Amino acid sequence: MNNFSEIKESVVQGNCDKVLEMTKVALDSNVPAKEILDKGLIPGIMKVGDLFETGEYFLPELLVSGEAMSGAVELLGPILSKAHIPPAGKYLIGTVQGDVHDIGKNIVLMMLKGNGWDVTDIGVDVSPEEFCSAVEKGDFQILGLSSLLSTTMSSTVKTINALKAAGLRDKVKVMVGGAPVTQEWADKIRADGYAPDAPSAVRIARVLIGKS
Amino acid sequence: MQKLTGLERILKTIRLEEPDVVPHFELIIDEKVRNAILPGACYEDFIEYLDIDGICIYDKTYTWEYETLDASKRVKRDQWGATVRFTEEEIGHPIKPAIELEEALDTYVPPDPDLPWRYEQLERVVKRFKGQRAVIAHATDPFEVVRDSILGDVKYFKAMIKNPELIHRATKIIVNYYLQYLRNCLDLGADIIWVSGDWAMTKGPMVSPRFTKEFIGPPFQKIVELAHSRGVPCLKHTDGNVWPIIDVILDTGADGLHPIDPLAGMDIGDAKTRIGNKLCLMGNVSCVTTLCSGTIEEVRQETKDVIRKAGEGGGLICASSNSIHSGVRPENYVAMVKAIKEYGKYPLSV
Repeated sequence: MNNFSEIKESVVQGNCDKVLEMTKVALDSNVPAKEILDKGLIPGIMKVGDLFETGEYFLPELLVSGEAMSGAVELLGPILSKAHIPPAGKYLIGTVQGDVHDIGKNIVLMMLKGNGWDVTDIGVDVSPEEFCSAVEKGDFQILGLSSLLSTTMSSTVKTINALKAAGLRDKVKVMVGGAPVTQEWADKIRADGYAPDAPSAVRIARVLIGKS
Repeated sequence: MQKLTGLERILKTIRLEEPDVVPHFELIIDEKVRNAILPGACYEDFIEYLDIDGICIYDKTYTWEYETLDASKRVKRDQWGATVRFTEEEIGHPIKPAIELEEALDTYVPPDPDLPWRYEQLERVVKRFKGQRAVIAHATDPFEVVRDSILGDVKYFKAMIKNPELIHRATKIIVNYYLQYLRNCLDLGADIIWVSGDWAMTKGPMVSPRFTKEFIGPPFQKIVELAHSRGVPCLKHTDGNVWPIIDVILDTGADGLHPIDPLAGMDIGDAKTRIGNKLCLMGNVSCVTTLCSGTIEEVRQETKDVIRKAGEGGGLICASSNSIHSGVRPENYVAMVKAIKEYGKYPLSV
């Protein structure tokens, strides 16, 4: 099997049909699902992330490539699960209370899934109590808090405080992001990580769980 | 210099001439903030109380129609057919677009721009302030309406690559609405048009310069052309780092740019040097940090800095870096307005 580079390039080009078709061909040729993911799809979405970070790709390209990746990941998911292949990590993500924006959160989610993470989306306008309950019940390594409005940044602080009060703060690493959020603010509220965009969110997440 | 009216002060500034004092007005001044400063007063009373040079009739607040879908969750349907959720702010955010399937656009009926009630606030303001303070008709950028209310953001962005015709068709409908709406506003006495809608994020433009030029610039430019055909200036608001697409913005013929977003690393002094001879700069006292959590002295200092960096020779409208939203400390907003009047007197000595 030597068309991993072709799968990768098709992800970069955002060619949904071709990515799906080549993934199916690879599976039919008995290429292990994990290998297709690790050698074709993930390098593809990582290159997309790089192009986004260097300003060559923008939201449309990111979304179209993400869509191409998602179709293949969906196909591989049950096979990986059956083979007991562990995900890259477990991530809980949501938009904080008072904020209903979701595009930023959804792009981070898409990029994480594309990179092999098991991601649970808890939605938008999520109260600190709901975040705490989800953290308590799940075995997430990272909690991602998104806020797009400067007025809802305080909900991020409230969520972190609620985690502390519930004795859950050490159970997860907390990452923050969103338009008004900065590294300086993330440090001030003692978040574990800050990402200015979706590709860096994936990178920081890896660092936080020691897989960089 | 003889004392100018607020309207004269703003128009002179937009013409890049030096007025008597740096002017000030805002896109939105949240009702909670206004009430904390002047309890129970209407918007017009508030404008007069702080002697603000212009008043903006924000379209989503005063001219859009909403139908309540779930009062307990504050979910409404906006006039375009999108489902909108309201939180603490006056402005809601679409959570479900009007169009699910492309075919629905064939039979889509846009709202009627000619309904008389849309102009009630404008008429009140014109009656009270005409000739004294600038009456500013606001329009949401067609790009934002199509992206958020009509198609939904993800579908819009994907369509830029996969189905550009869908965007062009939807945009045409929205532009036609706004051209008619704004014609009516100008007929009723609006002095300025202000179009708001983000083209960029903190890091940079949402879409490539090529796509910005193809999809986003032209609908806005049609509004600029309407304004200019009537001898009225047209201002543009967009958050984010717009340096990579600044030529597209300049090419539209916009007369002013707000807010030279400091959060996105845009420095208004740098903007003064690079584009200050091409259009009026508006902003950029931070409503993410200073106006929300700074001290009065910090607000005064930042206001002074903005005037010092960009006020020389005119061409600066000093304002917040987005709006006076509900998180702004009322006393800080008052401090900013006072500081503009104090430090903004020409010739500047800041």
